[in-house]
Amino acid sequence: MAYVDTNIAQLDAEGISSKSVSLWQITWRRLFRRRSAVVGMIILVFLILIALTAQWLAPYAFDEVLIGKENVKAREHPCIHLLGCSQDRPQHFAGIDGNVRDQFSRLLYGARLSLMVGLSTVSFAVIIGTTLGALAGFFGGWWDNIIMRFMDVLLAFPSLLLAIAIVTVLGPGLINALIAIGIVSIPAYARVMRASVLTVREMEYISATRALGGSNMQILFQRILPNALTPLIVQGTLGIASAILDAAALSFLGLGAQPPTPEWGSMLGAERNQVFTAPHLVFYPGFMIMLTVLSFNLIGDGLRDALDPRLAHSS
Amino acid sequence: MKQKLSVLFSLMVLVSLVLAACGGGAPAATEEAAPEAPAATEAPTEPMADFEGKSLTSECVAPQIIQSVVATGQYEVTFSLCQPDPAFTSKIAFSVYGIYPEEWIEATAGEEGRTSEGLENPIGTGPYVVSEWNRGESITFTANPNYWGDAPEAETLVFRWSSESASRLLELQSGTVDGIDNVGPADFDVVRGDSNLSLNERQALNVFYLAMTNTFAPFDNQDVRQAIAKGIDRQRIVDTFYPAGSEPASHFTPCAIPNGCAGDEWYEFDVEAAREQLAAAGFPDGFSTKIFYRDVVRGYLPQVSNVAQDIQAQLKENLNIDAEIVVMESGAFIEESTAGRLDGFYLLGWGADYPHITNFLDFHFGAANPQFGVQSPTYYEPMVQGAQIADPAEAEPFYVEANNAIREFVPMIPVAHGGSGTAYLADVTNQQASPLGNEAFYVMDPGGRDVFIWMQNAEPISLFCADETDGESLRACEQVVEALFAYEINGTAVVPALATACVPNADLTEYVCTLREGVTFHDGSTFDANDVVATFTMGLDASSPLHKGNTSAWEYYDYLWGLMNK
Repeated sequence: MAYVDTNIAQLDAEGISSKSVSLWQITWRRLFRRRSAVVGMIILVFLILIALTAQWLAPYAFDEVLIGKENVKAREHPCIHLLGCSQDRPQHFAGIDGNVRDQFSRLLYGARLSLMVGLSTVSFAVIIGTTLGALAGFFGGWWDNIIMRFMDVLLAFPSLLLAIAIVTVLGPGLINALIAIGIVSIPAYARVMRASVLTVREMEYISATRALGGSNMQILFQRILPNALTPLIVQGTLGIASAILDAAALSFLGLGAQPPTPEWGSMLGAERNQVFTAPHLVFYPGFMIMLTVLSFNLIGDGLRDALDPRLAHSS
Repeated sequence: MKQKLSVLFSLMVLVSLVLAACGGGAPAATEEAAPEAPAATEAPTEPMADFEGKSLTSECVAPQIIQSVVATGQYEVTFSLCQPDPAFTSKIAFSVYGIYPEEWIEATAGEEGRTSEGLENPIGTGPYVVSEWNRGESITFTANPNYWGDAPEAETLVFRWSSESASRLLELQSGTVDGIDNVGPADFDVVRGDSNLSLNERQALNVFYLAMTNTFAPFDNQDVRQAIAKGIDRQRIVDTFYPAGSEPASHFTPCAIPNGCAGDEWYEFDVEAAREQLAAAGFPDGFSTKIFYRDVVRGYLPQVSNVAQDIQAQLKENLNIDAEIVVMESGAFIEESTAGRLDGFYLLGWGADYPHITNFLDFHFGAANPQFGVQSPTYYEPMVQGAQIADPAEAEPFYVEANNAIREFVPMIPVAHGGSGTAYLADVTNQQASPLGNEAFYVMDPGGRDVFIWMQNAEPISLFCADETDGESLRACEQVVEALFAYEINGTAVVPALATACVPNADLTEYVCTLREGVTFHDGSTFDANDVVATFTMGLDASSPLHKGNTSAWEYYDYLWGLMNK
């Protein structure tokens, strides 16, 4: 990892030389210098494009059954004309699924769901977790005790099991799965936020604001929160990856998205028995999940390094 | 001081370890003693010169069928019925009515239900004896050396299970099991193409139906139900999702069963007519509803989720009906659907218990069954009349009337009779795919190996099948316990088992059964007429202290014979 250090050294040099550069600009630059983070961002941009343009890219609707419309059978293997598939057969990049639908179109629409799942659960968890963590850290005392002990209780359960338990109570469905995953992710953000607030709260500029007559709310939201955000961003990016995985796992178990929703996890689960006879139906959704999770993990790792002041000054 | 304390502490730890070790030994000792407990009840009933026959009698209260079971001799039992029942021997052959020894029945009737000994270690007369049930893993049976029929080919029989068809096939391909049930529809060709395996197609003695409960709008409208019946392409469902040997259902009952196909065939698929009829009924733009199902594979529904999604797509495309899919837990689904509480479509089916039309029609369309809402007398009245006639040709007009009325009323839509299949290693002899799902393993020789390993869909619920309905449990019980009659191996014809014959009187209200002599139970006791009376007392007499089961619902005793003294 020697090249990392040299990169950072260069960045630091840049940072010192140009005084007008903000923290965010430095972060961006550092991020772009990390090859793995760039790869992650390329994949993510690619996925976002797919998600946004699914209805134009997809040759068929995600729930369009091709029986009687084309001469294809259930679970037919992929047919790509460029790769030598006979021209008189209809082209299906990822084959046909168990319900005689175009698997490729379903995969494209699935990108929307997965990104939506990741972003919405993490936003939900971040908003609630940050508020709870900030209150606990800022006010301390019994607030801190009650909130953080409750978070400890939530953390004591394996997250997927707790999510399954919540979905069992709420009933299966994509929205309920999102709520469940959101709830189980709250403690992580609450903890990170509380730790940051505890550090920032003792800074001199906070005392200064207090001396100037700033209210608690002002101090908390205008002074402390913006300065405690950094670790939250890293945690959030990595959290999206695990939220997508959890949602896929719930759907695989039949507790998340219900058919015919083209959710990758449920597509994988529905065809798990055909792993030997129609491997494409298991491979492609699995590959897409892997790709999405990988992209967020790479970006998250990159952000962590880019935002870490110790790494910046250690070289 | 500190040293002393630590010495004291380590001593305490040592003492507690020793105590724990001794304590752990105690339960082991009781466990070892447990299997010997039944030995106390093993008092062999020697054939006595003055045999004292027992009896079970009651007043006839509708819908009760058996009025009395009397041991009229040491090897003779007389069944008196409240109404003529031409299907008597066909029904009595069902393995749920397997005979247990009288002493065992009494010894295992606990306070609340059957004792765990009673639920897991049944004593019967069958070719195999239960030797060990390793919960969650497997059940091991050993050959019964005193079996009255042909000696079992394999000394040991093992039942294993996996709910995934892919993993069942993988186990068979790797040779770790000798036979598997329910080959996945997509895997039929894989098995055919593998010279080490052989496929056995199971005759489709079942029906998969799309049900609606007519107490909920808009299913209370007969025109709506008929429109849906015409608007679903059942051939497409069978062609796409069912294995070879399946067919769209022309009637609710499969044609292989006498009178099953009496009357007109089901509606042709006709989108235009369906749309017109739905519009005329007041739903030109369709409506919104739900499709309920349980994600459980059965012979009648091999690809549950796919079929549900296809029906969803067809309803939308053909009739503009928006149906949301709701997957339910199996137990809750059965409970809600059979009670008629699901306010949408639901996917359910039925596999034959015994090869008679009453097993299909009377169970589903009887006046008291709420699963489709309100039943219509236009079909249940002729059904009741038909059920009392022994000769199929004579009963036919009633079944024509009943089937046509079902077609007219549309309490549900029969979709398919699903073929399924078993697969075995090629060197297994006498391979079977029983139409009733009761494979007899004692006649199969696993290529000279000592152990026959069978892999089915699921673990049995209990091995006390007098109070079970689950087919996976029944198959395991059938290796151990026998009824008065049996179904021929790999077929449906009724053959003698513990009874050599049952002779009816002229109006079919009394059957005198002659029992097989010289049969012994696994515990060494001798089989005689009192065991039959005790078994039926246990199953039928709701007031008897012996009437203790697993859930104590006694569904098959209640549904086929009607419980006494309820």
